[in-house]
Amino acid sequence: MQRLIRQHWWKALGVLILIYVFIAGMLIPLKPGITIVTPSSTRTGGELIIEVEGYNTNFDQAGDAVRMWLKMDDERSLQAKRVEVLGPTRAQAAFIIPEYLPSNQKVQDFALVVDNPVDGAAVRPNAVLVTQDSIDQELGEQTWQNDPLTDLSQRDGITFPFRNILGETIRNTYFHVSLWLAMMIIFIAAVVYSIKHLRGFNLDHDYWAAALTAVGLLLGGLGLLTGGIWAQYTWGTFWSWDIKQFTTLIALLIYLAYFVLRRAFPDEAQKARISAVYNIFAFVALIPLIYVLPRLTDSLHPGNGGNPALGGEDLDNTMRMVFYPAVIGWTLIGSWIASLMYRSSKIEEQLLENWEDSPTLD
Amino acid sequence: MNMVQQILRLLWRDWVLEWRTRYALSGILLYVFATIVLVYSALLDIQPQVWNALFWIIILFAAVSAIVKSFVQESQQRQLYYYNLVHPLALLIAKMIYNTGLLFLLSLLSWLVLGFLTTNPVKDTGMFVLAIFLGSMGLAIAFTFISAISAKAQNSATLMAVLGFPVIIPILLILVKIGANALRLMQDTAIGGDILILVAINLVLLSVSILLYPFLWRD
Repeated sequence: MQRLIRQHWWKALGVLILIYVFIAGMLIPLKPGITIVTPSSTRTGGELIIEVEGYNTNFDQAGDAVRMWLKMDDERSLQAKRVEVLGPTRAQAAFIIPEYLPSNQKVQDFALVVDNPVDGAAVRPNAVLVTQDSIDQELGEQTWQNDPLTDLSQRDGITFPFRNILGETIRNTYFHVSLWLAMMIIFIAAVVYSIKHLRGFNLDHDYWAAALTAVGLLLGGLGLLTGGIWAQYTWGTFWSWDIKQFTTLIALLIYLAYFVLRRAFPDEAQKARISAVYNIFAFVALIPLIYVLPRLTDSLHPGNGGNPALGGEDLDNTMRMVFYPAVIGWTLIGSWIASLMYRSSKIEEQLLENWEDSPTLD
Repeated sequence: MNMVQQILRLLWRDWVLEWRTRYALSGILLYVFATIVLVYSALLDIQPQVWNALFWIIILFAAVSAIVKSFVQESQQRQLYYYNLVHPLALLIAKMIYNTGLLFLLSLLSWLVLGFLTTNPVKDTGMFVLAIFLGSMGLAIAFTFISAISAKAQNSATLMAVLGFPVIIPILLILVKIGANALRLMQDTAIGGDILILVAINLVLLSVSILLYPFLWRD
């Protein structure tokens, strides 16, 4: 450890990784998507004309090659009879909705699939809701004319997935979520040093624990801030007393109390021992706060109450290529800051010793 | 003396000390009366939602005022004397059991007084008693350990509030939810899970306290 904190390669690595994360995370475009479909509901029988608004799309370049489908399930879909391009992000499409649908539901939802050679295929789930005047599943199955989705185009180049509502804020994954994971790694390291201190009462371990806790607090504060900025765009308000926000705030308060505790003791050895005890106690109290309680209450936060989060489609391979380096980058930078704080504590200790030993004191 | 005998002896001593002054008992009665009078004069009518919040506020402050003196009321020299006589863990466990019991009694008392002064909105008595018991246990464990930490510093009452409040927030959040269920303010079929989580939090805090206490009492 002593050798490692004097070496520079891992600090440079951390900086390089974060530069990569900022450039890639901010500049790689989003996959074309569909933001607005109007009208979003209709009845069976007759022609449906919808206006589609795209995001990052190039309908004008594709021209007549733009095709659209209303997809009912994996086997059944309806193709648009005609598509009219109104601009790069706007298009109109006409569908013939049959009298009877092969479904026994009063309201059947359709996903909209838009495909063109320039942008590739884009899907908008639950784009149109069709209300059936009368339900006859068998008749619907007999009269259904299926237009299967064929020859869907692939877009070249690297993109991040487009998610409705999230939009560009999906990039926050690289900052908010990775800061949070790095914070947990740093806090765990701090607890390890606290345990080490209690096993040998070595003051160096206490300096490490204090430095790492301070860095964890910083990363947690930044995580809360980036989460708030994200919430401003998706939930409409910076702070909404969501259970995740609330428990996070409490968790940070627990760690702020750690520093209040440290200031309460003039004696170094006593301060180190008691704050190590509190650090372990606080970490144990932190786990139900962050990982158990938010699961019990309704939350809008991704990962709660059926909202998408890290997993499956939501973190695709392109995002992984930025997300995992981001976690490593923040952890390295955090360790760098902690090692500087540790060294400053060591210097402080040495200066104090020299001052106490100096003969000019008397 | 073995551990159990030591714990029983310490429990009896704590009770005698309390009964001599009735500090916690009169304190809680004061809290209940003051809170009810204030809220009643401001709102004129106490709805079950407000009742639930009031009840747990009273219990929280009662816990702070009753437990803060666990380790502070005795001088360092006297504590050293105890550690010579009994096992340090016996002292901690005795304090935790005593504070749990005291807090449980105080909660029942304030429920009684609150019910007498307003109405008793509790529909599911069994669940509410269980919530009071588990809550008393959780608050007692957390605050006893925190008070052991803060007793080492000067100005320990303030330090205890700063250290203690964030730690007990998870317990309070679950207590308010179980309380709301017992008052039929909400119907949650999965409330058993919440009760289990409360039990788990209590056990984890207890075991961490017991593991860490040996490092705390020595000076």
